[in-house]
Amino acid sequence: MAYYIAIGSSDGINTDLKFGEVEKFLIYKVEGTDYELYEKREVADADGCAAKCGDKNGCSGSGHGCGGGEEVAAKVTAIEDCRAVVCKKIGFQAQKQFEKRAISVFDIETTITDALDKIAGYYNKIDNNRSLRT
Amino acid sequence: MAKLLDKQRYKCALAAMQTVQAIDRALPILHSGPGCAQKLSDTNGSSGYFSPNIFPCTSINEKDVVFGGVKKLNSTIDNALKVIDADLYVVLTGCIPEIVGDDSGEVVSRFEDADKPVIYAPTAGFKGNNYKGHEQVVDAIVEQYLKKSDKKQKGLINIWADVPYQDLFWLGNLRALEKLVAELGLTPNTIFGYNRGIENINKIPEAEFNLLVSPWVGLSNVKKMERKFGTPYLHYPTLPIGATETSKFLREVGKFAGVDEAKVEAVIKEHEDYYYYLIGRYADLFLENRVINKQFTVVADAQYSLGITKFLVNDLGLIPAKQFVVDDTPKNYRDQITEEFKKLNFGIEAEVSFETDGYKIHSEIKEHDYHGYPLVLGGYYEKEVTESLKGNFLNISWPVQDKVVFDRSYVGYEGGIRLIEDIYTVAVSRFN
Repeated sequence: MAYYIAIGSSDGINTDLKFGEVEKFLIYKVEGTDYELYEKREVADADGCAAKCGDKNGCSGSGHGCGGGEEVAAKVTAIEDCRAVVCKKIGFQAQKQFEKRAISVFDIETTITDALDKIAGYYNKIDNNRSLRT
Repeated sequence: MAKLLDKQRYKCALAAMQTVQAIDRALPILHSGPGCAQKLSDTNGSSGYFSPNIFPCTSINEKDVVFGGVKKLNSTIDNALKVIDADLYVVLTGCIPEIVGDDSGEVVSRFEDADKPVIYAPTAGFKGNNYKGHEQVVDAIVEQYLKKSDKKQKGLINIWADVPYQDLFWLGNLRALEKLVAELGLTPNTIFGYNRGIENINKIPEAEFNLLVSPWVGLSNVKKMERKFGTPYLHYPTLPIGATETSKFLREVGKFAGVDEAKVEAVIKEHEDYYYYLIGRYADLFLENRVINKQFTVVADAQYSLGITKFLVNDLGLIPAKQFVVDDTPKNYRDQITEEFKKLNFGIEAEVSFETDGYKIHSEIKEHDYHGYPLVLGGYYEKEVTESLKGNFLNISWPVQDKVVFDRSYVGYEGGIRLIEDIYTVAVSRFN
């Protein structure tokens, strides 16, 4: 069955953005080992944090517990229909949020094709109960 | 079809981290998922300078499965060398990196020029259990660290025995073997336990011969050392417990090492005199036939199953029921071990079964007619079944749950006495 992968990229070639820097996620639709760009999905303004940080971010004492900052939560929610997210770096808070939603996190700097080839190949194997043995 | 293994008696090959830990100031570096070290450790004397909770680990996750974990392994080794003061670093790979094809050997070879030796042992779980893993670690030391030596030290004997930590009595047993060999005027060399470590490892190629005291574990290691260093080996398959076997052991080692026969006999006599003095003092207990069981079963790895069976038959005159070897002994060693079980005094032969399935073992124990209550020496798993048969039970093999063992030993004359004490303590308590 087809699924989506969200990628943080500034140029459409490399996974070169940190999770916090992403304004538009590239959403790829994957079917088996084939994939194509499905849409560019706008998410919460990356600069928005500066004004709101301080009293609303995660464990900093505002009573939000470990739910992560609102920025993080909104961004995670925006791509929660995806099976995996690929960025250059993804912070601990966000990783936990993705984990809760059973979304895999790949924080790696590489080309989009390399990332998608490997991830799609991996999912294709486990979905079809095939060994990962190389 | 895949089948369930009930009551497993060993762990995956990665548990060879315990073999590394048994070497003073040697540090395992794990290339595995998080939690492996935690799961594989027992609270049986595994804390100390290094402990499983602080072993450096790549803690590989899904990302490393997809993109490979070699980068993480490289940085983990690099940083371990910087922050942990050890004499020998042994990289052990778990199943995940080996399945997805990380070339860990290549990464380790990048550290050839490091100040401290870094070696690598492939210990993926699917390659075998921790008995095999133990062999892999010794193999790695021989192959990657040690070099052939022109210098041979007269009388220096490397002693190899069974797997540290898997065998709760490993430390005491090794020390007891050392002591016996030393009494023959030879110089024992072992690498495990307090005050041995890298210096003793360095001496391995200089030894006159290797002495392997184990039914099969380590046989491939001493063969490898014979090829690489030209060191001959003496394979003594039975763990010497009690007078009969220990005297036999001393004679054979003495003969192989060319020790004067009179000297060997003098050592034996001194020990046997005291041994039989003790036995004599308790003869009334041994002869009271209601105290001890008529037949016994040992459920243990090949080492204890064979060693204890010989001891109970030859020294105590008990009759063996079926014996079980539960370490998943490789098939090519089984015939030879089965033969050993037939070499008992008084023309007695013991039947042995190489069985890893606890359910089947327990079924056989329940069905067997022990001509009274059974005596079962085994893992903690056997406690319940023995109690249900109102038998006497002693926990001697992994898993051990009902005793704490620091450096006690069942090896040698003294070890035999200790085992008699333990068995009869259980036996006499039922009358209290």
